[in-house]
Amino acid sequence: MVALTIDGRKVEAGAGSTVLDAALAAGIEIPRLCHHPELTAWGGCRLCLVEVEGQQAPVPSCGLAAAAGMVVITHSEQLEAHRREVLDLLLSDHPLNCVICEKAGACDLQRYAYEFGLSESSHEKEIARKLYQDENAFLVRDHQYCILCTRCVRVCEEIVGASAIEVAQRGFEAFVATPFDAPLVETPCTFCGNCVQVCPTAALVPVDRIGKGREWDLTRTRTVCPYCGTGCGIEVATRGGEIVSVSGYGAPANGEFLCTKGRFGLGFVGHPDRLRRPLIRRDLAYSLGLIDTPPPAALGRSPLGRSPAAGETHVEVDWEIALDLVADRLAAVVKESGPDAFAGIGSALCTNEDNYIFQKLVRGVIGTNNVDLCARV
Amino acid sequence: MRSTVKVGTSTCGLATGAEATFRALQEAVSETGLAVSTQRTGCLGACHREPLVEIVVDGAHVLYGPVTADRARPLLEGHFTLHGAPPPPEDWVVSRTPDRRDYAFFAPQVKVTTANCGVIDPLSLEDYLAAGGYEGLRRALAMSPEAVVAAVTDGRLRGRGGAGYPTGLKWKICRSQPDPLKYLVCNADEGDPGAFMDRTLIEGDPHRVLEGMIIAAHGIGARWGYAYVRAEYPLAVKHLEAAIAQARDAGYLGTDILGSGLDFDVIVKEGAGAFVCGEETALMHSIEGRRGTPRMRPPYPAASGLWGHPTNINNVESYASVPSIMTGGAEWFSSLGTSESGGTKTFALAGAIQRTGLVEVPIGVSLRQVIFDVGGGIRDGHSFKAVQIGGPSGGCLPECLLDTPVDYGPLRATGAIMGSGGMVVVDDTTCMVDLARYFLSFTQDESCGKCIPCRIGTRKMLGILTKITRGEGDTADLDRLQQVAHTIHTTSLCGLGQTAPNPVLTTLRYFRDEYAAHIHDRHCPAGTCTALR
Repeated sequence: MVALTIDGRKVEAGAGSTVLDAALAAGIEIPRLCHHPELTAWGGCRLCLVEVEGQQAPVPSCGLAAAAGMVVITHSEQLEAHRREVLDLLLSDHPLNCVICEKAGACDLQRYAYEFGLSESSHEKEIARKLYQDENAFLVRDHQYCILCTRCVRVCEEIVGASAIEVAQRGFEAFVATPFDAPLVETPCTFCGNCVQVCPTAALVPVDRIGKGREWDLTRTRTVCPYCGTGCGIEVATRGGEIVSVSGYGAPANGEFLCTKGRFGLGFVGHPDRLRRPLIRRDLAYSLGLIDTPPPAALGRSPLGRSPAAGETHVEVDWEIALDLVADRLAAVVKESGPDAFAGIGSALCTNEDNYIFQKLVRGVIGTNNVDLCARV
Repeated sequence: MRSTVKVGTSTCGLATGAEATFRALQEAVSETGLAVSTQRTGCLGACHREPLVEIVVDGAHVLYGPVTADRARPLLEGHFTLHGAPPPPEDWVVSRTPDRRDYAFFAPQVKVTTANCGVIDPLSLEDYLAAGGYEGLRRALAMSPEAVVAAVTDGRLRGRGGAGYPTGLKWKICRSQPDPLKYLVCNADEGDPGAFMDRTLIEGDPHRVLEGMIIAAHGIGARWGYAYVRAEYPLAVKHLEAAIAQARDAGYLGTDILGSGLDFDVIVKEGAGAFVCGEETALMHSIEGRRGTPRMRPPYPAASGLWGHPTNINNVESYASVPSIMTGGAEWFSSLGTSESGGTKTFALAGAIQRTGLVEVPIGVSLRQVIFDVGGGIRDGHSFKAVQIGGPSGGCLPECLLDTPVDYGPLRATGAIMGSGGMVVVDDTTCMVDLARYFLSFTQDESCGKCIPCRIGTRKMLGILTKITRGEGDTADLDRLQQVAHTIHTTSLCGLGQTAPNPVLTTLRYFRDEYAAHIHDRHCPAGTCTALR
């Protein structure tokens, strides 16, 4: 631990902390746009500049290691003037479409414009990047909103390891590009969408989120991703019971980030074909006396010319009946042919705990080692 | 009788037709049957008289220029009085002495780093050795690394790339790092408009730069060196690579250099055309194969540079000064300059003066001496208006500041900087607003785009300046310029952005009346802004 003074307060910082870390931990806010706690410091936005005693020019606090005895000022007339000027410059290169923007309410630039009372740029308006790319099913890249903070580039390289994007060109013409401007599907992009999650503006937006409501209309629920056994914590934003978007929130298993399934793969949750109750075959249900009418004789060769729907081949029953039926049948097989006649395959979509219980059932209750899991490969 | 005809075939010479001159001389020699050898050399610096041809007969030197191809035959015949030919016209003669001090351009100069340029064959290791080459390395290897670093410190060598950081201190910091793997980088990504010091040095005397790097490697304990040369300097790359191959063969590079136990080798890395890669952290990213953008410092390269290892980065001219410190001694070297900084500085003298070229003067001489004594003053009867020193990072200084010594501190005090050595003189036909606009258009174009003040701020400044040169400016624009300039200067990430407003700030300071004329009178005093004619 090192002790330093920030804005006249004695602050303790852990080893390896930056001045920004130390300030935030002490509840001292410093404006910042390119910083992300999970990514390496970039130092591009110049908003987090602070004054350090003994140094002539302001220093970016995101890249400044906290040192013992350091005396730091995070807010001064000079610093505020520079921050305002930098934001003023940035706003000249940003469409102020906040009234219709998907990101309104969750946009870092909008937040600072509000805090500094900037409704428009005092400079000549000139949007550097006008490219709009929506060639894939997952995310839209609307470059006019990009502020070149490169959080997306860094998350792709440092967290995902895909390095599918990098800044191309330079200066005012610089933009975040794929190799040779190829569509994202032709790059190492895995469509995990972590770039979308870290984007501070509306430059990266999930396709499914567009037009689904303002940020303040959304209800956020923290839950566990149903897609695999890792148990990632996800925060699901919904509106009227419909999923609008999914993001990570800093859960123990996965930290801030998600894979493509957790983020973009939850469409099944509200899908009409989703199984919500146990179903048993109609012929079985009839033979058990659960229904009065027998199933049609030749369903497989249906004159409908289509596959029969679940309601035509199966009937819904309650859990008790379904489980009793399975238990009876299993017991009969084991009695007749021995436990090794049975084999169980678990699913990678189940949690580790569920799969553990499943193998316990197969080994301990049924009495066979014939148990496997599709994720064993 | 031993006779040699030397032709300066550096890039500057080639641009004026030196290749044709060289071939014409070779032809003329074979046709006339003269017993003379023809030789290519680098650049003597007197670019205004190129193509330059020097004829040396038994130690008697005559330097001629400009010698275009059609003058080759008459020159040879005249010089050697063949078939009763008349001697070459007197206005072809530049100098008749070995030190060339009878020509006013050379008289005030003190050649240390450029001593061999235009004198030896840059592709000949023997020539370099005959001129005392690698003697500095021998002496350095006989000294302890600490003593080598101390000598550079005592010589008061400061970074010639422009910032002027004490070279010895930089070496000492790098040397003190515990990491056993250290790198050395030679920054030859010279990009300032009008600057060609590094190019001339590498093209004309590549072994000197290498020797300086090897001495530095000994002082610091570096195992590998990179020479980062801009790709627009193909001849410099070629000469440096040839010198490296020769040095390897001769045991000056490789393992156990000259039996001293020192292992060191140099790799040439060509730049890819970005001005910002001259900034040391961007340069390192480029060597590592990453996008050439600067990063925050600290950590400084001396602590964490290439691939996270301690790295010492110096400019070409800094390294080229080192062998002379070893041979001449730190005391002699420091006595060449001022109490602040020792040695000499090369400048690429260009613009509206009589004698343009590459000049080397002791640090501390005045701008006036460089421009008027070496450069011969303003040409075509015009009058001096300003000198732009330090390239796009530098500033424009008026006549009243001409007695400023060329030294890091005094130049900084004026709002300009020493810079890498670009010195452009302008006369009364140049509009200072337009000049500032030109330099800003350069930095705006070369900004990497990483930080907001440089990416957007320089763009906005350029917009305001363009407006003023079109006669559409108003008084508020000047305040706005100053305000944005202040933020760019204070908040930009790297030196490119921090110094980008300098040409505007210095012209606003020293030539404000010209801005006022554009705004209030809708008049361009120099008459160059076309919209205001």
